[in-house]
Amino acid sequence: MGNINSSGNDSDLKVVHRMTVIKRIIHWTLFLSIINQIITGMYIAYPFLIFGKTPTQADSPVSGVLNSGETYQAFIMTWMREFHFIGAVLIDVSFFAWLYLAFFSTKEPLYKSFLPFGNKINEMYKMIKHYFTLKNKPETGKYQDPLNAIIFTFFHLLLLLQMATGFQMYVASFTGTSAVGAWWPAMLHICTDWTLWVFGGLTGVTLTHLFITWLIIIFIFYHIYIEVWRSIVWKEGDILIPFGGYKYSRDNLKEDDTD
Amino acid sequence: MGKGDEKNKTAKGKKIENSDRACSDEYDDKTDKTNFKWDPLRNIADDPDEALNIVDSRLTNLEKEYFKSQKDIDENFNNVFSASSISRREFIQWTALLTSALMLPTIFAPRVARAANILTRTPFIWLDMSDCMGNTEAFLRTAHPTPAEIILNYVSVDYMESIMVPAGYQAEARRDETVKKYKGKYILVVEGAIPTGMNGKFLTIGAKGKTGLEITKATAKNAGVIIAVGNCASYGGIPAAYPNPTGSVGLSSVTNRQVINIPACPANPVNLVGTLVEYILIGKAPMLDSLGRPLWAYSGRLHDNCYRRGHFEAGEYVKQWGDDGAKKQYCLYMMGCKGPFTWNNCTVAQYNQDMSFPMRAGHGCIGCSEPAFWDRMTPFEKPNLDAKIFIPGVEATADEFGVALFGAAGVGMAAHAIYTGVKRRKNNKEKEKNNGKDNDNNKDKK
Repeated sequence: MGNINSSGNDSDLKVVHRMTVIKRIIHWTLFLSIINQIITGMYIAYPFLIFGKTPTQADSPVSGVLNSGETYQAFIMTWMREFHFIGAVLIDVSFFAWLYLAFFSTKEPLYKSFLPFGNKINEMYKMIKHYFTLKNKPETGKYQDPLNAIIFTFFHLLLLLQMATGFQMYVASFTGTSAVGAWWPAMLHICTDWTLWVFGGLTGVTLTHLFITWLIIIFIFYHIYIEVWRSIVWKEGDILIPFGGYKYSRDNLKEDDTD
Repeated sequence: MGKGDEKNKTAKGKKIENSDRACSDEYDDKTDKTNFKWDPLRNIADDPDEALNIVDSRLTNLEKEYFKSQKDIDENFNNVFSASSISRREFIQWTALLTSALMLPTIFAPRVARAANILTRTPFIWLDMSDCMGNTEAFLRTAHPTPAEIILNYVSVDYMESIMVPAGYQAEARRDETVKKYKGKYILVVEGAIPTGMNGKFLTIGAKGKTGLEITKATAKNAGVIIAVGNCASYGGIPAAYPNPTGSVGLSSVTNRQVINIPACPANPVNLVGTLVEYILIGKAPMLDSLGRPLWAYSGRLHDNCYRRGHFEAGEYVKQWGDDGAKKQYCLYMMGCKGPFTWNNCTVAQYNQDMSFPMRAGHGCIGCSEPAFWDRMTPFEKPNLDAKIFIPGVEATADEFGVALFGAAGVGMAAHAIYTGVKRRKNNKEKEKNNGKDNDNNKDKK
């Protein structure tokens, strides 16, 4: 802070509105449900907690065997799958809300920044350069920078893939009809059957679903790291955006009015 | 059979005169009058009476063609079953079983009996391509055969390498004769994958050294119905497993006619006989799924119909062969059961004289009724999680590769963080120096 004081830039700090309420709700819904999906999904892939006690499968926190009493009291896999499906629905709704806002948001349609055209691609490289040289910080006051926008878009494409592969596994247990009618499995088949051909059968789809989970985990850590990094290096409170919707901006203030 | 005949008499009154036999000289699917709606899974037809009439007239015509007289019809089954000491009662029970397995109403039970009777006289060609003949063995070598297996043993086989009497040129002549004589009528069952590499030279059969590819194409051209039995014939199976040096493919890849796939390793006799019976009944293929399998047999996922499913939901799994969970018949999910990825009716129409199936025997499913199961379902005794992912140059499971990537990303982030710290300190020092200079300059100016 000494620097700021000494350079006398405090008066240049300006509060910028970056995330609307809806976008913040989407952000935290995605956050909570993805954490939920990772935990429950990993359990479904590999049931690490074995419930139900038998002499050779005795209580042991090490091997993950816990006694939950009778079979009918356990139903651990049922609950894991149930929460996995609930989380999936929340992510899907959030995803489509995001998709809508990415094109029709009045505040900042994301497609304006993620489409790699002209100076956008240039700005993206500038940002990458800045991450490694810490010089020539690009202007990130009012809008999302193109690098972040492209990475977020990529992340949402991963979500889309997770949806397709996930629903393919989900629709596998349907036999042509469902509680809400035949349209539901039919629609899921139309939307997701291509994954069978692309990823090599249902087992391939399952493995893809699991692998993309790891990519999403990597994204989460990258995302947190880079936002903390920005907050520390830029001193503009980037980490506050998803909480309050505001950040500070110290650059580009003179040209701001022309935007 | 008595019941069937009674039904037949009542149905004769409504018989449509011009209803055509499917097994006519024009074997093309389009010219057959078999385009009526046939949807056993929901409602049989728009007009149930019409469907019944078509079936009845078809059966009557076929009986006229393949049997000498009513006496011949009645005696045929007695002859077949008396040799295997199956009583009429047992046969009627089996008929009811097959009717319900085919998802047909009870009214079809006597018709199924008649169709099974006709099936034993229908000309039949069984081709063996590159395979282990496991399906043949499974059908022929049963200690206590069920009617399904007996019917398969007594079908009028005109060509089948493993059991036919003629050999060499005679055998081939017999096959060619059948193809010519019963053009568009004979049932073609193919077992085994068809190698296409080197123009099919990986498999040559018979005295003339014809390739399997040639024989299959020539025989499939004029067949009344084409059935691929076993995973090899359906999807290539083990001969087509990676890297597939012989270029083996399933039957549907070498012929442009409709192929009914009866996959599994070996296929369940009930599924084969059921499909043949349904063909005799309606003269066309039953409803098929997207992989060419009859829906009546392959619409259910094993995992959903497994008697161990409750243990799956309860989180009770066999962790090791022979552990207490195994004794208590817990779910085999963690021992690599591929039931969640496999569609078949093993749990309903069971194997080994309707006695057992893999999960009942204590081993997980290996997914043998799915395409490329040798590549996609391995390792068989480990959960799918432990399978290697198909990314070129990567020999790892999804978790191993994911963790490696995650580690690499973590190292990258840490390196970047350290780099940033060092760089900032440097910059700050420079700035301080500059600031100092600036201040000095300012002071000087002041």
